Amino acid sequence: MLTSVATASKVVYNKGCCISENLPVIGLPKGLFYYEHSILWESFFKILGFPVITSEDTNKEILDNGIIHCSNETCLPVKVFHGHVYSLKDKTDYIFIPRYTSIDKNEYTCPKFCGLPDMALLNLKNKIKVLEVKLHIDKDTGLTFESLKEIARILGVNYQDTIEAFQTAIELFHEKKQEISRVNCYNQVRDLKKRAVSVLGHPYVIYDSYLSMKLIKKLKEKDIDVYTPLNLDHKTKRHNAYPYQGKAFWEVGFENLGSAFTYAQDKNMNGIIYLSPFACGVDAFIIEFIERQFKDRYKVPFLKLTIDEHTGEAGFDTRVEAFLDMIG
Amino acid sequence: MKITFPHAGNMYVPIKVLLETIGICYVMPPLCNKRTLEYGSTHSPEFICLPFKIILGDFIHGIQNGADTVLFCGGLGQCRLGYYGDLQTEILKSVGHNVKFICIDLTFMTVKEIVEKIKPLTEGKSLGKIIKAIACAIWTVFRVDKLYRLASYTRCREVVKGYTDNTMKEFHTRVQNAKGYKAIIKEINRAMRTLKTLKIDKKAKPLKVAIVGEFYVALEPSANLDVEKKLGNMGVEVHNTLSVSHWIMEHFIKRNLPVKSKNTPHEAGKEYMRTDDIGGHGLETVGNAVLCGRSGYDGIIHLYPFTCMPEIIAQCTFNEIQNKYGIPIITLILDEMSGEAGYMTRVEAFIDILERKRETSKPVMDKKCGMNV
Repeated sequence: MLTSVATASKVVYNKGCCISENLPVIGLPKGLFYYEHSILWESFFKILGFPVITSEDTNKEILDNGIIHCSNETCLPVKVFHGHVYSLKDKTDYIFIPRYTSIDKNEYTCPKFCGLPDMALLNLKNKIKVLEVKLHIDKDTGLTFESLKEIARILGVNYQDTIEAFQTAIELFHEKKQEISRVNCYNQVRDLKKRAVSVLGHPYVIYDSYLSMKLIKKLKEKDIDVYTPLNLDHKTKRHNAYPYQGKAFWEVGFENLGSAFTYAQDKNMNGIIYLSPFACGVDAFIIEFIERQFKDRYKVPFLKLTIDEHTGEAGFDTRVEAFLDMIG
Repeated sequence: MKITFPHAGNMYVPIKVLLETIGICYVMPPLCNKRTLEYGSTHSPEFICLPFKIILGDFIHGIQNGADTVLFCGGLGQCRLGYYGDLQTEILKSVGHNVKFICIDLTFMTVKEIVEKIKPLTEGKSLGKIIKAIACAIWTVFRVDKLYRLASYTRCREVVKGYTDNTMKEFHTRVQNAKGYKAIIKEINRAMRTLKTLKIDKKAKPLKVAIVGEFYVALEPSANLDVEKKLGNMGVEVHNTLSVSHWIMEHFIKRNLPVKSKNTPHEAGKEYMRTDDIGGHGLETVGNAVLCGRSGYDGIIHLYPFTCMPEIIAQCTFNEIQNKYGIPIITLILDEMSGEAGYMTRVEAFIDILERKRETSKPVMDKKCGMNV
């Protein structure tokens, strides 16, 4: 039954139909969760029949607005996220900000994800209306359905429809994810004529071309094969995530620890670059584990780059170039 | 087998009781000092939070003094505390200390779990003795916290300045040398008696300031520059919303009781954070700030270590709380490079503001009184 719904709604999704003038517009900020779960939430609202607007790619204005509205200590990706929310403020009726607490069994998120909807509301002085879905899979999936009920009430749609739309969206999401991992599937570095470098970090840092200063693009322009955590499948990453195999840790920790140790085992991997926002609490742990393990067990060159809102691109480039020269 | 444990404010007193009653051999690291922090921050990652560094320093101190096992806590969730043990094991190993880690899980803490976890330490000891030790330790926690509350009451009111500090200093020296539950309780009672006989100014109406924030830095005087004592000596009554006894009440006693009750700060914090958990003590911080705003405090001091994730979230609610409840809040972010003078200037300026605020609101109160007459 569900697969038929999935195919039916795929048609809906691809058409992007049902744009009526009276329906509230949902805004999807292009930050944090967006880089991994955009398909899930975009199709969820489209299946329900609401028009969805995504904010622009990160730019100077978005960054500046984010900085204005956040406290100093907040990390760069969260500031940028606030900038995205601010840019959607006047264009949309509701802004969708999910509340991720744990997104799988034993896999937690950074605390900032848990307080994100409240943070956005408080920092933007309640000028926006927020829709939220709670995800706390480690503890209780019932919370998710409660929050879906709330969304159904606010948007004035049937609760059953909402649930169905959510389940279909999840199926779509998993399908797309499998497709991506099939296309990008990494086994080992094959093309020995080219240099291969893996770029690690939070998805919302490495895939955001403004925050990462187009690092991936720059590497590709230099004719380098770039590997990211996306190229590995879920199981391999969990299996190699020393020392947290089978234990509880942050989701992003599993992704990066697993990727780092998988890529480090590959003799043809020339180097690993880790991109980390300034004062990231989660990265403090992850990078320390990676560095200590690399020193003891693997012989792969490792570069840690820290970014913040002041970063001068020239200095950043110099360090990347120096690293590339070093790995030959 | 010799074990060592980290400090957290006055936590060492109950731990001493626990270990001595069971009869476990232990080494207590010296109370946190400059050396501790130096050891800790040399081997820690740059952006890790301050408690990690101090605790690591404590371990190294303990190991240097002959310990071969470390007693610590762990858990899961968003806060980094739960993962401390794993990284510290790794770091200690790389420095050349191959020690055993015993992590008590804080997330689902029950008597059974504790007994099981400390089993390797307690071989040959009867279960009854262990449970008695746990009970004694918990009772000590409540007594010590009561002593601390009494000290913060007398410190700002005492007629001869410095008397409370001297009593507490003496208490710490004596309790470190005392052995066993009875002797320690005797020391606590002794200090209490001394404080109760202190000459205090009963008419004084000191400013009332609450401390909210991250558990460890709020409790550990060496991490928070002893702000509680300094404020007390400036004539300010300090209420520390965080205490070990409160923590044990919430996480251990209430959890093991058949009747479930609600966590008051959590409920109050939900006014701004519509969730159960933002990691660590984040929600408690928000809730305590709201509760203090409601109950007539003059100001709030928010303490947290640099890069503490839950407290950064909590901090963004403070603008709203300040506006709604009219209570000034100052945030102090602590790290290993704390320049004490800079912090004290800010605290003093904050206290000046509170005094001014009280003075300007006084005439209104007098008018009210006048109307009543």
